[in-house]
Amino acid sequence: MVGEKKRSPAANIVLYCILALIVIITLIPFVWMLSASLKANKDVFNFPFVLVPDQPRWENYSEIWSRIPLGTFLLNTLKLSVIVSILQVLTSSFAAYAFAKLEFKGRKALFLGYIATIAVPWQAYMVPQFIMMSKMGLNNTHMAIICLQAFSAFGVFMMRQFYLSIPHELSEAARIDGLSEYGIWFRIMLPNSKPAVTTLIIFTFVNTWNDFLGPMIYLTKTELKTIQIGLRMFTTQYTSDYALIMAASVVALIPVLIIFLSLQKQFVKGVVTSGIKG
Amino acid sequence: MNKKAGAPKNLIAYSFILPNFLGFAVFTLVPMVFSLVLSLAEWKGVGAVKFVGLENFTRLFADEAFMRALVNTVVYTALTVPLTIVAALALAVLLNSEIRGRNFFRTVSFFPYVASLVAVAIVWRFLFSPAVGPVNMILSNLLGKASTDMPAWTSATGPAMFFVVFFSVWKNMGYYMVIYLAGLQGVNADLYEAAALDGANKWRQFRHVTLPQIAPTTFFVLMMLVISSFKVYDIFLNLFAGGDNQLSNATRVIVYQIYNTAFRGLDYGYASAMSIVLFVIVLGVTLIQFRGEKKYSH
Amino acid sequence: MKKVIALVTVLLLSLAVFAGCANNQSSAPAESQEPAAAPAESENPPAEEEAEAEPVTLKWSIWDLDQTAYYQAIIDGYKEVAPNVTIETVDLGSSDYMNMLQTQLAGGADFDVVTIKDIPGYANLVATDQLEPLDDFIAAEGIDTGLYGGTTEQVTVEGQLYQLPFRSDFWVVFYNKDIFDEMGVDYPTNDMTMAEYDALARKLVHGEGNDKVYGAHYHTWRSAVQLFGILDGQHTVLDGGSYEWLKPYYEMVLNEQEDGVVMDYATAVSTSSHYRDLFYNSKIAMMNMGTWQIGSQIMAVKNGETDVANWGIVKYPHPEGIEAGTTLGTITGLAVSKNAPNKDAGLKFVEWVCGTEGAKVVASTGTIPAIHTADVMSVISGTDGFPADDNSKAALETAKVYLEMPLHPQAGEIEVVLNEEHTEIMNGSKSIDDGLAAMQRRIDEILGN
Repeated sequence: MVGEKKRSPAANIVLYCILALIVIITLIPFVWMLSASLKANKDVFNFPFVLVPDQPRWENYSEIWSRIPLGTFLLNTLKLSVIVSILQVLTSSFAAYAFAKLEFKGRKALFLGYIATIAVPWQAYMVPQFIMMSKMGLNNTHMAIICLQAFSAFGVFMMRQFYLSIPHELSEAARIDGLSEYGIWFRIMLPNSKPAVTTLIIFTFVNTWNDFLGPMIYLTKTELKTIQIGLRMFTTQYTSDYALIMAASVVALIPVLIIFLSLQKQFVKGVVTSGIKG
Repeated sequence: MNKKAGAPKNLIAYSFILPNFLGFAVFTLVPMVFSLVLSLAEWKGVGAVKFVGLENFTRLFADEAFMRALVNTVVYTALTVPLTIVAALALAVLLNSEIRGRNFFRTVSFFPYVASLVAVAIVWRFLFSPAVGPVNMILSNLLGKASTDMPAWTSATGPAMFFVVFFSVWKNMGYYMVIYLAGLQGVNADLYEAAALDGANKWRQFRHVTLPQIAPTTFFVLMMLVISSFKVYDIFLNLFAGGDNQLSNATRVIVYQIYNTAFRGLDYGYASAMSIVLFVIVLGVTLIQFRGEKKYSH
Repeated sequence: MKKVIALVTVLLLSLAVFAGCANNQSSAPAESQEPAAAPAESENPPAEEEAEAEPVTLKWSIWDLDQTAYYQAIIDGYKEVAPNVTIETVDLGSSDYMNMLQTQLAGGADFDVVTIKDIPGYANLVATDQLEPLDDFIAAEGIDTGLYGGTTEQVTVEGQLYQLPFRSDFWVVFYNKDIFDEMGVDYPTNDMTMAEYDALARKLVHGEGNDKVYGAHYHTWRSAVQLFGILDGQHTVLDGGSYEWLKPYYEMVLNEQEDGVVMDYATAVSTSSHYRDLFYNSKIAMMNMGTWQIGSQIMAVKNGETDVANWGIVKYPHPEGIEAGTTLGTITGLAVSKNAPNKDAGLKFVEWVCGTEGAKVVASTGTIPAIHTADVMSVISGTDGFPADDNSKAALETAKVYLEMPLHPQAGEIEVVLNEEHTEIMNGSKSIDDGLAAMQRRIDEILGN
């Protein structure tokens, strides 16, 4: 708290100008998206460009629910995203603790191996994986997506990096106090890594929400499909209904933003610094 | 008094890793290993697997399409990684300080990452379209030239690489900003106080306190950026491909070659050989960065 | 050392497992399906040894279920013929449909009937032994493949036929009569040479900026430009060797682009400018496009999506000396999966859909079936909304239809090259000569010439 000098008025102006610029750059495409979502399809790319159509087609927003089972898709995607996020965070932070704080045989090699697998593009092993999952009876199940997404090397990698920045002394002190490793993980690491956990939840949620190729291959039954597949259903063999694509994308944005808004309060300074002074 | 014997310690460590590793090994690792081994064979996706030794690899080096894809991907990575890091870090530092409406700005920065790629790609293609796109309209007004003289951003002859790099940075900076934000929370505030007392201004505080403290985060961001840039596919496909999902020479990337070779060409073995090359390159870069991390964080 | 051995063992084991698994053509354990509906008893099964009165569910892979008019019509029509059969459709989406189908079949999906979307994908399915050869069935049932206008001959693989067409489309020229009237130009005829077509487009272009109206439009597919070249029947795109024969057509189109007569390729791609929308908004006077657009155009006028109600079609332009009515076309066919659980029922379904009865049902939805007999075609031209003028009716008669992509085991690979070089030429990255030379070089390499 102490020591934050007040900014000069000039610096303030510059600061807010930069921020305004950032907002413009990030939001302009969304403004276009909104504008397109209210037009008739043939007018989306018509020139001259109009920002607000004379007769905004609000029906687009009701059409997307009837043209494709968007409600079902939303629920499916929500279900998958939540389950995968929880599983990911649990297993990843669990494993990351070992990599960050415990000394054991093969630690470096195993970790390197983990990271190395992130380097292999999914397109490369997608088909053998599908054949294997089919033989396991997992084709056309949500379980398949969960199994594919919930155990990733990425989560382990990220949590490990954050755990590295938690001071050794904390866990040492706890060990001396007789806490088991599992206890340390639960009582010390997890609570002290709220920003990291939050980040992982956000990312996993968004990734699963936006995942296309997985659901495309594994979920061919309409009642199982997810939003991203739904979006592509507006692109047919000969044409694309761009207005509806935009409207559906706007709708699909909302739940994720809600999650982000509610979670990002965790990014607050001072969470970790307790107990270190001295 | 609390020195445990080596073996139980290892076991405890393994028990932590087991849940994640088990799921990972069964569902991902096995098919991955299989596909990598496929690089020594010929396979059509069904039917018999025929071993051909290193034939796929010798084919690769004479394959001009693959070589071009390799070059494109390297250039793309070399441009995207530093730009994204700078943008993400700047945003994170900016949005970590006391600003009114901080939550709003953070959320806004995250928008691009969250939005569906299909939709934003359509938008960007339009915005940057050579003749009728707003960007070129504005540029031509500013520079006083005809709009037809403006760069053809989305065409392969033009500065397509800059276009896609710009797009990638825009789309992903929010993601890495969030990672940096989380990392910044871990920096002890007292360190800043001490530095301020020593007379360091904001910039020196940043260089000598912030940067070193978030080194593990930077390492992570760097790694993930490099890997995902090498693996890029969807972005190129959505920005440049026509209805037939095909990319031209100048905008072809490695994973695109892999996908096309496997699915359209029914040549899984050859595609796997490409994956191996990609894998080896990324592994090499990873190892280099690992060395860097060791030197830097201790 | 132990680690190395362990690692190698794991590798070899996993490979063995997969080689073994991949060899098996056993179908995957079936996920719990929707229970087959038990329909009312039927009394009309034809003379077949199998108990056809038993309820059967056929699984049919398709794309764009809700956006396509004929699927439901076919399902309803077949229900009357074979009430014990329930059709369960699986919509794999249209982008990348053949890749998805290939993957699903590799994973052991239990489709009975599969729709074939394009020839390269078809070639791949045949090459991986996923389709049931139909020749014996055709002979036994006495199916007359002559009805399909020579297209089935173009899709046999080593003498065997694996699909029957139920739908066909060919290319015509759509034109906006109002724009012609406005410019005082005579309507196009059913006998235009390429030069006449080009000249016509140049007469029609007018306007600047937002008011610009183009004389013609070439969609971004390579078929819109490249395939003028196959109309003289001298070449196919899969021949290899020199592709110089494409040059005059690329020159014509690129000149039109340069002179602003048509929209340039880069803009068309980047604005996702769809030919449909341009035509609906009266931004183009003519466009060369497939007959699938007929149904869409009729619908669009009906539901007010466009006010271009005054439109017509004429036959495709042709090179000098070639009969008018020669055009390019595609077929969409049905095939039966080699591992179909209900193969016989599947075959019967395919026979009906691809026969004259099915053709009439398809025609009733405004789509052109694969059988072009006069009474079938008059269903199309008699549709409410089809242009009333005689030229448009006559445009539906074809002289010879060349398949856009002939069958070839390496069709998929070659198509990749054709598409890539087409893009390079159209957006100016390569000169026409360089692009065609690259085509020759790369395709010859694939063909092993």
